[in-house]
Amino acid sequence: MLMIRAIIRPDKVGVVLSELSDGGFPAVTKMDVMGRGKQKGVKVGDVFYDEIPKEMLMMVVNDEDKDDVIKIIMKNAKTGQKAAFGDGKIFVSPVLEAYTISSGNNEL
Amino acid sequence: MKEVMAIIRMDMIGKTKDALLKAGFPAMNCMKVLGRGKKKVDFSLIENMLTGSEFSSPTVAEAFSEGHRLIPKRLLSIVVKDDEVKNLVDVLIAVNQKGHPGDGKIFVMPITDCARVRTGEIGELAL
Repeated sequence: MLMIRAIIRPDKVGVVLSELSDGGFPAVTKMDVMGRGKQKGVKVGDVFYDEIPKEMLMMVVNDEDKDDVIKIIMKNAKTGQKAAFGDGKIFVSPVLEAYTISSGNNEL
Repeated sequence: MKEVMAIIRMDMIGKTKDALLKAGFPAMNCMKVLGRGKKKVDFSLIENMLTGSEFSSPTVAEAFSEGHRLIPKRLLSIVVKDDEVKNLVDVLIAVNQKGHPGDGKIFVMPITDCARVRTGEIGELAL
């Protein structure tokens, strides 16, 4: 199993979530985060904003579903055809075990 | 070292904290998150409840009726030694299990290293 954490623009959350759901990956956890990237934030006039609001989507999927999920997020979190700085990042990390509390089973 | 990440119901956090303390896991991180699981949730119940009630706050109604509907949950993150994982997972399941969908999930992930900021200790010493 793998945990996929995607940091995306808040205004892209709706479309990404509905596309994930249509693609067969309804289970997801969302949290508000603040961050900056390699560009060190955004400069607007004289003010430098280095804590930009983003949304983090967290989901745990089976190994073989990783590519599908990443493809869906990539396609829908982009701004415009060319995409832009600040569209976000996706991180993938291993998950050793998953338990479902309602059944107590050791499964996703 | 392993990180145990548990997503549980909002109203179970108090009981879970007490149980974890009794079981010897006082340290934890806790976050308010929104999420959904594999099952579709029937939101008409909540809508009916909110429209009929004089206490219905517009923000609550909005949060539930907006396009992608997510349910408020608590996310606990606890880092423990390898041999404590099973005990911790058992405690979390025992406290939070009501037998209904939506009780939550527990994920166990590897942690490669850890440091205590106060003393600079590295590895399991820092836990």
